[in-house]
Amino acid sequence: MVRKGIKDKVAIIGCDMTKYGELWDKNQYDLLFEAFQSALKDTGIKKDEIDASWIGIFYYFTGLSGAMVEDILRMDGKPSTRVENYCASGMDAFRNASFAVASGAYDVALACGVEKLMDEGGSGLPGFKIFGHPLYPTPSAPAMFSMAATRSFHEYGWTKEDLARVAVKNHENGAHHPKAHFRSPISIEAAMKAPMIADPLGRFDCCAMSDGAAALILTRPELAESYAHADDYVLVKANAISCHTNFPWYVPPGGPGSEFTHFPATEKAGQYAYNEAGITNPRKEIDCAEVHDCFTITELLNCQDLQFCERGKAAEELKNGTFNYDGEIAINPSGGLKSFGHPIGSTGCRMLTEITKQLQGRAEGRQVPDAKVGLCHNLGGAFTVCSVTILSQRD
Amino acid sequence: MIGIKSYGAYLPKYLLPRESIGKAWEFPIVPGTKAVAMADEDSLTMAVEAGLDCLAGNDPKSVDGLFFASTTQVYSEKDSASLIAAVLDMREDIITADFTDSLKAGTTAVTRAVDTIKANKDIKSILVIAADTRTPEPSTMWEYGFADGAAALLIADEDNIPLSIEDYYSVSANVTGPWKRADKDKFIRTFEPKMDAKFYIENITKVMVEILKRNNLKPEDIGAAAYYYSNPRLHGRIAKMMKYPGGVAQNSLFFQVGDVGTPMPFMLLIGALRRPKDDSKIIMAGFGDGADAILLHVRDRNALRDLGKSRMGFLGHQKSMITLKNYNKFLDFKEIVEKDRYTRKSSAVTIWRDAASVYRWYGLKCQNCGAIQYPDMLRSCYICRADDQFERIKLSLKGSIFTFTLDHLVGGTYLDIPVPRCVVDLDGGGRVLLNMTEIEKPEENVKIGMRVELTFRKEHEGADFKNYYWKCRPERGKL
Repeated sequence: MVRKGIKDKVAIIGCDMTKYGELWDKNQYDLLFEAFQSALKDTGIKKDEIDASWIGIFYYFTGLSGAMVEDILRMDGKPSTRVENYCASGMDAFRNASFAVASGAYDVALACGVEKLMDEGGSGLPGFKIFGHPLYPTPSAPAMFSMAATRSFHEYGWTKEDLARVAVKNHENGAHHPKAHFRSPISIEAAMKAPMIADPLGRFDCCAMSDGAAALILTRPELAESYAHADDYVLVKANAISCHTNFPWYVPPGGPGSEFTHFPATEKAGQYAYNEAGITNPRKEIDCAEVHDCFTITELLNCQDLQFCERGKAAEELKNGTFNYDGEIAINPSGGLKSFGHPIGSTGCRMLTEITKQLQGRAEGRQVPDAKVGLCHNLGGAFTVCSVTILSQRD
Repeated sequence: MIGIKSYGAYLPKYLLPRESIGKAWEFPIVPGTKAVAMADEDSLTMAVEAGLDCLAGNDPKSVDGLFFASTTQVYSEKDSASLIAAVLDMREDIITADFTDSLKAGTTAVTRAVDTIKANKDIKSILVIAADTRTPEPSTMWEYGFADGAAALLIADEDNIPLSIEDYYSVSANVTGPWKRADKDKFIRTFEPKMDAKFYIENITKVMVEILKRNNLKPEDIGAAAYYYSNPRLHGRIAKMMKYPGGVAQNSLFFQVGDVGTPMPFMLLIGALRRPKDDSKIIMAGFGDGADAILLHVRDRNALRDLGKSRMGFLGHQKSMITLKNYNKFLDFKEIVEKDRYTRKSSAVTIWRDAASVYRWYGLKCQNCGAIQYPDMLRSCYICRADDQFERIKLSLKGSIFTFTLDHLVGGTYLDIPVPRCVVDLDGGGRVLLNMTEIEKPEENVKIGMRVELTFRKEHEGADFKNYYWKCRPERGKL
């Protein structure tokens, strides 16, 4: 699948993110500007040194086209492209920027993402009335993922309590992160008693609506030596995307994902990335991972599909502490989407920023002890698009 | 011989007790209940239900026409018959027409179907469906009567017709009884109810007397008389005036179901066919700006009885109805309460292009691996990835739930929130996603493996037209 790939051909030389939350007094331009300026500062360069940009934005109301970068950052008309690939939009912007520097077409590239959700009001993701076919049912995002929860309860014997443990772990981590939207630990009881959104998923099983932006600056490793993070730049080991279907409920029995207990896109993207990075035992070789936890059930199933544990065992492993920040493999040490919310286009870049800082030993919240190799993962749409990036400390 | 080859009926699932109406307005309490359709139902969707019931065991492609009768047509320009015919998966080289604006539209459509079959050698059968959802003005006397339902008769020219149509007789009468102005009125109006009763008695008896006379029959020769009535007292008066022997005049409808309007004579007839007397004569009569009387003859009592066993008909639906406890819910059903209604974007073009999937309920079968899939916009197989190997295949209207969620964020008109959204494996193949309607206490009652059947409903009114699609519901009478 991967031919030459981008392993060890791309270095992250600077990155940052805004505070995430209900940022009523800021617009998308403010958020992007702030994330970009912090990333420039982190890199120690001026904006004119950037050759080209890719920006992840999901919703049309956040902004259209690559001119979103131009309008707020004034890059003197340099190349810029808006990337939309559901919840993987931000990480796909990073992927395109990676290819650009790896190929030598550009020396320094900007990968960023922003989403301004709260201007549309906070009661669920907007837009479902205008997407897609006029008649075929279009479930809300929690409804899509709860159909997998219903089936996982049936197949694996998982319960509401198993889901609640994901929320408890992630909010516990997030409470330590200064940039998280939510910074209070929660109890299992509170998670289980929360009002239903899409049965069996209650309010604490769902990530919140938030605003935020994140930005990363990339170059080739041989050029990275001349920037501020010469000693601790982070290397890209692999970056993979897999697309499944927009309509998993139409996959006939026996087809990929028809069991509703795993996500074929995650499974494939993970496998592509492991092959490219040369990873054979993900659980042993990866120290920390930001895994898409738009819903609690999503994190559990993704951990299985990313081969962090056996099928059907994620709930048990979580209970045993395997996925704690100081456990065998730290899952969402930042607090994840549960603590940050999910400004869609930005989330991939936020995860990459988070893992970069973990590998540099300067994580803002919970530092994973001795983190050398990290993974970032998004799953978007109706389990439709998955993006996996593997990062490591420089050699 | 021309006659009735099959029949079907539909009554909505919910009954409103008249007591709850009386209590709401401090009216004198009237006993009984009436059938009320949900907000996602209208005359067109109920017609589909009755049509499916009527065509059970018959190939829809073998029927040569569809007449749809209703005073509550969903459009005043654009017919319903062509849409109903598509949903019933009938051919395109058929005749379709709407009959409207009079409560006798149903019986009139039957007489026109007989004439058409007689006159045209290419037309051997016509499906006649009548449905009404007349909305009474709250706090008026109409509220005790007006009810919702649909019934269908398959009129055909065949050798072994179980119930032949012998004769019909009609009168036209220009009377300003109840009316509704097309451009102004939301509810029915009347000038003088006593005059309405006089017009009704005169016309309905005139046609029944005349049809007896024309066929040299006496009232005691009639096994059953199924004539429209809007109140039980008038019904009794007519039976007496006509000198029908006891039990002949069919009056099984009003107490439980109410005045269903256009389909009422059909339903009374279907009720009478439960115990058909061999070789007996039946009169069916409709009223509204005149009247029609149709004389029928029971040719094959056993065939009629078998027919009754193989479809829901009037009784099957009646048995599976549920009584509403809340008058306010009824107001919501009827969209009488002003509130924001759910709309989505829509496109008449998309729906036209996808009619095979969205109306006719076809999926695709992969010629390479045999997998059946939906919808038919696909070009490459989900299973074997073969390109352009699909053949259209008619999907089942029954299936079992594979997985589901109970969605609290859903839009649209439903009895209760949360709304079950169900991944359904259809009998014989095909996996689909359907919203569930007509479900009480979904938290307790929706389960993996649960049996469901499909029902054609109004989803929303995006782009300012009616957007219909299939939903699922628990099998009627099986929850």
